[in-house]
Amino acid sequence: MSKVLELKNISKVYGDLHALDNVSLSVDKGEWIAIMGPSGSGKSTMMNIIGCMDKPSSGQVIFDGKDISKESRRKLTEFHRDRIGLVFQQFHLINYLNAVENVMVAQYYHSMPDEKEALAALERVGLKERAKHLPSQLSGGEQQRVCIARALINSPELILADEPTGNLDEANENIVLDIFKQLHKEGTSLVVVTHDPEVGEQAQRIVRLDHGKIVSDKKNELFSEKIKRRDTP
Amino acid sequence: MNTKHKMFVWMVMASLLRRRSRMIVALLAVVVGATILSGLEMIYYDVPRQMSAQFRSYGANVILTPSGDGYINRGELEKCVAEFTDEELEGYTPYRYENTQIHNQPQTLAGVDFDSVLKTSPYWHIVGSLPKSSGQALVGAKAAESLGVKEGDSFSAVNTFEVTSDINTADIPSYEMYSDPETGEMYCDHSLDLTVAGILETGGSEEDYIYISLEDAESLTLSDRGCDIVEVSAAAMQERLTEAVERINESSESVSAKLVKRVTASESTVLTKLQSLVFIVTAVVLVLTMICVATTMTAVITERRREIALRKALGALNGSIIAEFMSECLVLGGFGGILGSVLGYYFAQIVSMNVFGSSIAFRPLLIPITIAASVLVTGLACLVPIKSAVDVDPAIVLKGE
Amino acid sequence: MFFRMLRGTFTRQWKKLLMIAVTVALGASIAAAMLNVMLDVGDKINEELKTYGSNITVTAKSQAVIDKLYNVEDDSGETDYIPQDKLGELLTIFWANNITDFAPVNDSTVMLDGSEVTLIGSWFGHRLEFTKKGTTYERDTGVTNLRSWWDIEEGEWLDEQKLDGDAFAMVGSALAKDKGIRAGDTITVEGKKSEEKLTVTGIFESGDDDDSRVYTTLSAQQRLSGENELVKKVEVSAITSPDDELAVKAARNPSLLSGDEYDLWYCTAYVSSICFQIQEAIPEASASAVRQIADSEGKILEKTQLLMTLITFMSLIGATLGISNLVTSGVMERSSELALLKAVGATNGQVTLLVLTEITITSMIGAAAGYFMGCGFAQIIGRSVFSSSIDMNGMVAFIVVVLIIGVTLVGSIPAIRILLRLRPSEVLHGGH
Repeated sequence: MSKVLELKNISKVYGDLHALDNVSLSVDKGEWIAIMGPSGSGKSTMMNIIGCMDKPSSGQVIFDGKDISKESRRKLTEFHRDRIGLVFQQFHLINYLNAVENVMVAQYYHSMPDEKEALAALERVGLKERAKHLPSQLSGGEQQRVCIARALINSPELILADEPTGNLDEANENIVLDIFKQLHKEGTSLVVVTHDPEVGEQAQRIVRLDHGKIVSDKKNELFSEKIKRRDTP
Repeated sequence: MNTKHKMFVWMVMASLLRRRSRMIVALLAVVVGATILSGLEMIYYDVPRQMSAQFRSYGANVILTPSGDGYINRGELEKCVAEFTDEELEGYTPYRYENTQIHNQPQTLAGVDFDSVLKTSPYWHIVGSLPKSSGQALVGAKAAESLGVKEGDSFSAVNTFEVTSDINTADIPSYEMYSDPETGEMYCDHSLDLTVAGILETGGSEEDYIYISLEDAESLTLSDRGCDIVEVSAAAMQERLTEAVERINESSESVSAKLVKRVTASESTVLTKLQSLVFIVTAVVLVLTMICVATTMTAVITERRREIALRKALGALNGSIIAEFMSECLVLGGFGGILGSVLGYYFAQIVSMNVFGSSIAFRPLLIPITIAASVLVTGLACLVPIKSAVDVDPAIVLKGE
Repeated sequence: MFFRMLRGTFTRQWKKLLMIAVTVALGASIAAAMLNVMLDVGDKINEELKTYGSNITVTAKSQAVIDKLYNVEDDSGETDYIPQDKLGELLTIFWANNITDFAPVNDSTVMLDGSEVTLIGSWFGHRLEFTKKGTTYERDTGVTNLRSWWDIEEGEWLDEQKLDGDAFAMVGSALAKDKGIRAGDTITVEGKKSEEKLTVTGIFESGDDDDSRVYTTLSAQQRLSGENELVKKVEVSAITSPDDELAVKAARNPSLLSGDEYDLWYCTAYVSSICFQIQEAIPEASASAVRQIADSEGKILEKTQLLMTLITFMSLIGATLGISNLVTSGVMERSSELALLKAVGATNGQVTLLVLTEITITSMIGAAAGYFMGCGFAQIIGRSVFSSSIDMNGMVAFIVVVLIIGVTLVGSIPAIRILLRLRPSEVLHGGH
């Protein structure tokens, strides 16, 4: 299976603090990985490096066989814009644009805004009827679904979600996780950073971080069962 | 316009329209700044004109006198006065002086145009009233004292002249004429009865004279020889007056025009000070107001750091974020400038009406200047915080609460 | 805990508070500068208007009046005079400090080069000694500043203190042209009593009758005419307040005023009260306003003050709006933080108190800085426009402080109303 992303011997140092210490990780195409760990374990740093929003102090970040760790900020921005969709814990919608417009902003910066496509993306997360609502008129779950629609709109190779259910209640959490499952089925690669075991256990593979190091990286045995269980009512 | 441009315009508009309360705060700041700018600009440009009119209370600033021994006749006078535009010309008064005998004392009578005299000598203080009909006189306070007359009194002025062939003796009562026993020449003591309509107080040399109308002076002397001196009051700056005076002196041989230096030189000194006062006040207020606008705009932009970070996280390049936010600021600046120009005009108008009682001259050129300044200041005020905001690391801003 | 939270805001939110303080300081400095200039502009413009020359003339009380009162026939034909040694009394009146310049002006007719010419005797940079309450003072005065519009075409102004003796003269341009007189020449003039050789220090152009006259020192003129130690007329230039109703009433007859009105009138620098005081000091003299100058001065002063008042007023409105605007946005910006306080149980009153205390302290710091900045701006204006400093008025500090507190509190009202309506859950969930 080809790799979407490969981190080789990544370290990130802030002064004396080793946020990441010689970490290597690879993500296969279509794979669903959960990155877990307590606060301060280096999850966020790792997420920023994967999301091309930060550069490692040393090591290589290889995307599609290309090392991007030494690229300029501008190149990095272009790179992540084209290949990565971001989902945030705090949703980060632009509050004066409505749902469909928020999705179109991502299209705008990527290539060309297209309202039909944006509506289709909202339909995919079940929000077609709420397309003209402003973020303040949407519930938290709905806002997160808009955020996912926005992450999907440019057909990224990888979706990077940072605590996607952190601000949601259980019902909404399930809706979001269902969308992730759907995406996984369709072959999208997913990296979900979370400290919630419920969410982490949904993934194919669970990587645990502690003190900047990977302490475990194993297949989730429950994964296929869960999928089966949910698929066969 | 492709969809990308449409989206750009829409995002800018949505930000302005949907974030109403915040945008009103920013717009208000810009409008206040632009209003003060355009209002003070208009006042600054109008102060010399308006103040110059006030300075006319000092009276005549140009004097016309005959060049030689002659007099200035009507036609000549009209021609000289035409050098001033109607707008500049506050008024002009011809004076002719006649030596007469009143109560057997020599007295100087001045024939004057009572309709215009208060325009060239607005400082005249009259106890009683200005003569309205023929046979009435305005008597200077000192002359009144020496004659011992007061308002309502009558007296008779006697003009003595030689009767020559060009005088129509038909108008003269025969008892006024007599011949000199030595030379045999005919003389006439022509008299005119006058009533004191008012006493003139000025604190100056005007108090020594008795003023009558030009028509009465003509009937007293039986001659319409023209006048000795013309006082002109023109609302114009010194350079303009000098120019007019030079033109009169060039074009007319019989009239010589002179500036009343006491009035013109002093006026230009004081006016220059006044204008520079308004200028520097305008400058100080403007600088402070612009800094005020800048701090408000900085606050408005700083507030949106998170949004800027999000756009970066969605893959926006620094350039396009700057373009979007700057267009927002420029729309704000332009709109604020337009509103400010209108309000500023009203502001200047209120000041002008209250202070000078006349409306302010509308200067269309100031509108584009105000709008341009408003756009420029708002733009500059936004550029700095936007630039520092796009340099932030989106990861940190988006993570932080 | 309240102070702890307060301290927290000041140490951690200092950037935002600094911005508010800066805006308040700017607004306060506009207010302070404009108010100071406005309150002093009258005096400044008044000084400038002194270029128009004297606004009061003092002449000897007319003999004619006395004749009429007592029915005495007077055939002497003599002119009335003020004794020269009484002139110092002018500087002992209540408003003596408002008298900027004064000079005697004696005219007499002399023969110059075979024709009759008017000769004026006056002071030029004269050092006058006068006694006030037993102390002797010195003061320089003269006609120089009363003829500020003269153009010296040749030579220079006569100056008694620089020159030795008094046999000097200045000649009007028309006369000089007529007689071919140049600066430095010596002219011989013949008066009623004597003949004098005068050295011409300068030729002037005045644009009026003075152009055909000769100006000389008072003592030379007195020798020529025989009017020893006598003065016919004194021109006085005084800084006056514009006339109002009281002044008009008093001008008719001061004795008709009530006691309070009289005191107010006497202690206001109206041209009429200064004239009255001059007559008190020199009983032989009659002082009257030169209406051309006094009236116009009043008008221009009034207009200028009104203009500055309105500009000040409008600038204050601008500054006020600017400040309240920023205060509003400053408070609203912190809505999430304040909502959090409400969420953990703070009452509306507590939140409001916290916000108001912060804002008021910030504003006061800004106002203090702004006041001093504004005084600096006022001085810049004074220096660059009038080349003299602007008088600082203590009232301005008070007005600025009251204004800023008022503006700050009013500016906080909309923000606080929004805060009170805030539901913690909405704010904390709404993202930003």
